[in-house]
Amino acid sequence: MEAGASYQRFPKVKVRELKDDYLKFELRDTDASVANALRRVMIAEVPTIAIDLVEIEVNSSVLNDEFIAHRLGLIPLTSERAMSMRFSRDCDACDGDGQCEFCSVEFHLRAKCMTDQTLDVTSKDLISSDHTVVPVDFSDALGGDDSSEQKGITIVKLRRGQELRLRAIARKGIGKDHAKWSPAATVTFMYEPEIHINEDLMETLSLEQRQSWVESSPTKVFEMDPNTEQVVVIDPEAYTYDDEVIKKAEAMGKPGLVEIYAKEDSFIFTVESTGAIKSSQLVVNAIEVLKQKLDAVRLSEDTVEADDQFGELGAHMRGG
Amino acid sequence: MNAPDRYERFVVPEGTKKVSYERDTKIINAASFTIEREDHTIGNILRMQLHRDENVLFAGYKLPHPLQYKIIVRVHTTSQSSPMQAYNQAINDLDKELDHLRNAFETEMAKHSRDY
Repeated sequence: MEAGASYQRFPKVKVRELKDDYLKFELRDTDASVANALRRVMIAEVPTIAIDLVEIEVNSSVLNDEFIAHRLGLIPLTSERAMSMRFSRDCDACDGDGQCEFCSVEFHLRAKCMTDQTLDVTSKDLISSDHTVVPVDFSDALGGDDSSEQKGITIVKLRRGQELRLRAIARKGIGKDHAKWSPAATVTFMYEPEIHINEDLMETLSLEQRQSWVESSPTKVFEMDPNTEQVVVIDPEAYTYDDEVIKKAEAMGKPGLVEIYAKEDSFIFTVESTGAIKSSQLVVNAIEVLKQKLDAVRLSEDTVEADDQFGELGAHMRGG
Repeated sequence: MNAPDRYERFVVPEGTKKVSYERDTKIINAASFTIEREDHTIGNILRMQLHRDENVLFAGYKLPHPLQYKIIVRVHTTSQSSPMQAYNQAINDLDKELDHLRNAFETEMAKHSRDY
């Protein structure tokens, strides 16, 4: 039954820049549908862990309970474990209300302001029951100026006498359910542009004309070499497909001065992570999740069987 | 207060099939696959992969309504193939492509972390 022909592609990848929370890479020899599926999966379907249930014991702060619960949910938690964790809705070791190591992590927060100095309650005050799942630490990522020591993400500020005491349960989830579970700050891809300057036409332009044409691009794509007076492409990827240089060339009476194509099988991805998972891991997880999704849409045995019977019946009816 | 549960968008209800198959009543080798709880992510890659198959005469998908969490993929093939065969082939090819992609990405990452 299985036909011999295969229509598989063999995409190529080249990493350009790699940081824990940032990744830029080239993806070649595939099409926009795959690139877009990867992007969508990274944003909405790669699982992470985030606070989902909050039980407030004492809250005399200026913010109401649900406001604080919402803020807690948005704090990114380190989620390397998320792929191997269970969703609490299909965890059979517990009834989904936490207390179970397979699907949840418990947090405690106790803070009371005893002085006249305002007390900042931050993500660092959250005490986790699992050392692998903790609020992300941005202190070394930001580095640079050491004007103030990093204190985590502010949740609420307390005045003298005010207190906040709570218990929170973090669970595995996906961005499709609620954006707090999205591991991606931004994921974008662009087609790689191919820019050809018509050198013969360019020769017919005066120095000033060339300069004004170069300047017509809102982004620095072209440059005029001060020595040779030649217009050169310095950064094709800065081109935003705005068509400004094409319009300018037409306005100057030189249509075809430049030709720009989008290479439809080459993409440049930029991935920024919230810190919940490393940017490189985010891509690997996205591929894995997409594979699982594809596997889930395979036809089941009984669907095939039911159709085989229908096929025989149909053949009878058609051919007699 | 009467909002539906958010997980209804991606959890297939009990007793419902993830994929159902329905032959076209008038055209042979044409059929539609109804895929529950999926969206453009799966719909579009399937459609584009089906277009690569020369025995596929038509392949398209639709999301009938944004609040109905399902997609319908319609496939029409030549007599050399069948919608079911083309559909399986598309999934297999995409699966292998993603395997290749993961390996390519991991070798690239290994190369990159060595350079540090």
